[in-house]
Amino acid sequence: MRANIGRGGARFNVLSSEQCERIVRAAYEVLERIGARFHEPEAVEILRGAGCAVSDGTLVRFPAGLIDQALGAAPAGFTLFTRTGEPAISVEPGVAHFGPGPTCPNFIDPDTGDRRPFVKRDAALTARVCDALPEIDYVMSLGSVMDAPQHLADIHEFDAMVRETTKPIMSWSFSRESLAHIHEMCIAVKGSTEAFAREPFMIFYAEPSSPLKHTAEALRKLIYCARHEIPIVYTPCPIAGATAPATMAGILAQNLAETLGGVVLSQSIRPGAPIVIGGVVSILDMKTTILSYGAPELALLSAAATEVARSLGLPMFSTAGCTDAKSLDQQAGIEATFSILAAALSGADFIHDVGFSESAMTGSLPLLVMSDEVIGMARRLARGIRVDDDTLAVEAIAEARQTGDFLSLDHTARHFREQFWFPRLLDRTRYGEWQAAGGKTMEDRVLERLREIIAEHRAPALPAGVTIELDRLMGTVG
Amino acid sequence: MRTNTVDFTSTQFRVLSDGQLERIYLAALELLEEPGTRVFSEEARELLADAGAIIDGELARIPAGLVKRMLAAVPPRIVVGNRDGERTLVLEANNINFGTGSDCPFILDAETGERRLFTKTDIEDAARVTDACPNLDFHMSLGLMSGVPTYSYDRHQAAAMLRNTRKPLCFTAMSRDGLADILEMYYLIRGGRAAFENNPGFIIYLEPTTPLLHSKAAMEKLIFSAERFIPAIYTPCPMLGATAPVTPAAALAIAVAEFLTGVVVSQLARPGAPLIMGGVASSMDMHTTILTYGSPELHLLSAALTDIAHWMRIPMFSTCGCSDSKIFDEQAAVEAALSIQAAALSGANLIHDIGFLESALIGSHEMVVLSDEVIGMVKRFLRGVPVNDETLALDLIKQVGPGGNFVVEDHTADNFRGEFWFPTLMNRAKYDAWQTAGKQTLGDRIRARVQEIIAGHAVPPLSAEVDAGIDRILAAADGKASAEQTTLL
Repeated sequence: MRANIGRGGARFNVLSSEQCERIVRAAYEVLERIGARFHEPEAVEILRGAGCAVSDGTLVRFPAGLIDQALGAAPAGFTLFTRTGEPAISVEPGVAHFGPGPTCPNFIDPDTGDRRPFVKRDAALTARVCDALPEIDYVMSLGSVMDAPQHLADIHEFDAMVRETTKPIMSWSFSRESLAHIHEMCIAVKGSTEAFAREPFMIFYAEPSSPLKHTAEALRKLIYCARHEIPIVYTPCPIAGATAPATMAGILAQNLAETLGGVVLSQSIRPGAPIVIGGVVSILDMKTTILSYGAPELALLSAAATEVARSLGLPMFSTAGCTDAKSLDQQAGIEATFSILAAALSGADFIHDVGFSESAMTGSLPLLVMSDEVIGMARRLARGIRVDDDTLAVEAIAEARQTGDFLSLDHTARHFREQFWFPRLLDRTRYGEWQAAGGKTMEDRVLERLREIIAEHRAPALPAGVTIELDRLMGTVG
Repeated sequence: MRTNTVDFTSTQFRVLSDGQLERIYLAALELLEEPGTRVFSEEARELLADAGAIIDGELARIPAGLVKRMLAAVPPRIVVGNRDGERTLVLEANNINFGTGSDCPFILDAETGERRLFTKTDIEDAARVTDACPNLDFHMSLGLMSGVPTYSYDRHQAAAMLRNTRKPLCFTAMSRDGLADILEMYYLIRGGRAAFENNPGFIIYLEPTTPLLHSKAAMEKLIFSAERFIPAIYTPCPMLGATAPVTPAAALAIAVAEFLTGVVVSQLARPGAPLIMGGVASSMDMHTTILTYGSPELHLLSAALTDIAHWMRIPMFSTCGCSDSKIFDEQAAVEAALSIQAAALSGANLIHDIGFLESALIGSHEMVVLSDEVIGMVKRFLRGVPVNDETLALDLIKQVGPGGNFVVEDHTADNFRGEFWFPTLMNRAKYDAWQTAGKQTLGDRIRARVQEIIAGHAVPPLSAEVDAGIDRILAAADGKASAEQTTLL
């Protein structure tokens, strides 16, 4: 499905092309005049070599021409594959893909409903549930594994996920060493370095630090991905009113400058290296000092940042399906829906954090399952209306006037499946039937579906040889 | 200073391109000529015949040229005053206004959770809830008053609403007589017919019968409204797969053809009569055969009809804040949020059905209060992203520098109130604070708010004179009703 592009589908815009251009120019201005801190000598040397001015050892300023050159070199699209080698995600303008997010410390226990620390088994469950959900396109674990040695939590998380899903996995790590280890596991799955490079099923996630700072760890991972042809998402997380200006245009300009710093580095290392720009762009809630994951500003800024990315011809990593609510209640329903519709209409390439509750402190599979349904709805809306002779059906209307009934028309039988969206969890039964079936709430149905998936769904197993190799690789790290 | 630039001061959303909406309009014109439309009112058929329509029995074929001329006569804006006469409800261009829906037989009792018939007290409470909701601009009854005579229920409902909210009202009426009685109430409030025509206080809801039929009652009320300058909604309800083809483009063409018939009749009755385009066009659920109120198709088609209304420069009546759920749960929230966002983005002018559950059979105060909060969120979203030197804040970013902090900056203090939306019912507390406060869900907080409004929100009474006049109108209508001896519910 394509949203917000060409003549088909609903069209939605936040920024005019002039407004977009001004934000881009402002980001250039930030990069040229203010610059950004790069806390990794190798990155600084690469950028100096590419033409950047360096002062104090870490402050890098970017000439506009170099940014232009990097934007020209960065690919507008690429393809991610399933673990089994089928094309799965074709990154191209206007095609929205949804998935969960990373690193919540807590998890809603699917059996008890209690909030507790996230463990390795939860990463496996999340991958299994993502594998089963029709509207979820790629996999992240929702949490940060707490029952493994802390510095190895990233590797254990990937190990848990890769065994439970064939969908593309978005992975992250603390360090370049962990990334190299995860890369090795990917190669083990595909059989060779070349096979993984040809059919990547893993895309990596890294972040600069707002405002305008790139840590050593982030840069080392970015350099590794560029050198090894691993697609990467480089996504800042500026907070309006805390680590960025409180004004929407200001945070967008700063966010873009931060993510573009990564693009220039990646393209300086390897022109054409696949990179996705991003931004979890939201506000500081002034009463509670949390970064809000349910605010309308998040949905608005994400849509605006997506337009800016599209104007530059770069893929965008966006945010939706998340909430500040602490339980699966009406607030979770509202906030997840609000952001999902905005993201679907904007057509961002990767839309993450589906299933985040409590402002990214708790991963929630019930919210993920509910959001899967909402994504289906939002996609139907974004698909818009086809207008041609067949759909205008002037003759069918005349025919039905003879019989008085449209239900029995061939035209109806031919079209209803493509025209109507069929819910799986939203209930449309009549009151008596609903009552007779137990008077269930949406939450009841969500939990039933979740338990059914956990009990019954299994992704195709890895070949025995691969499992042994993965076990061996896990053994080497402890 | 920058010249020749385009700044969006709000979000931009379109479902149909210019070419697509013109094609739907032209298909509607074709339907009005062939197969034509059935009009079950002799008075309306006479108006049509005199203007050049071809009448064959009840079938009217309306030539495209006549439609075009009558469309030109429809006013592009309608202003409806509140009970005090303030011109608060402006229906024009992309100006959005939200309100409840009308006539659900059941209420979800906010206190007991029970589904039961709507009482007079519930109708009064519903009016006060709307009065207390800052983001609601007009009110419809929400429920259907039980225990009153069928003949006069409409006057009783109208009186109960008038006495319990100051906001502009939108009514349904059983008949032209009922509508005339409600109008009399407003003549008392405004001080006569001329004052009402200059500043109408209510809107009447009317509907054709899909596909392509117009009942006697609907036509009579439409003609009466036109003559008395009562703003009228004429809203088709095509059900995709049942009373209309399953393809949205065809359902839109039928809806537009039906509305255009209303345009021709109303403008023939009195050129310039205030008319509002409607359309609740939704899919029939193939499993249950209900008309869905939560489906994405409803909200997609509502947005498409709004595109067409904007193109015709006619105010638009749309739909949101409603659900197929039987209770006030997460489904209700999901469907309310999606529909409110889509309707607001589309820029429809009079957006109704807030508070509906069970596909328009249950009215719920909780759903109304929830929607009020969602509208607040959506309004922030619609304002978009202003881009200028102050908002880009490059000097500030430079001054703070890489690794710095914006919390203590004057720019933050000066701007955050204008830029950030502050929720009233959504909870952003940290987990421990939320747990300590009793782990309330949004549903819990909304129920408390509803009870607070019902117990405490007072609406100033009407003047004793108007109040007595309304009682006289009710008594007279009940006198006629006693001959019939039936009650609606």
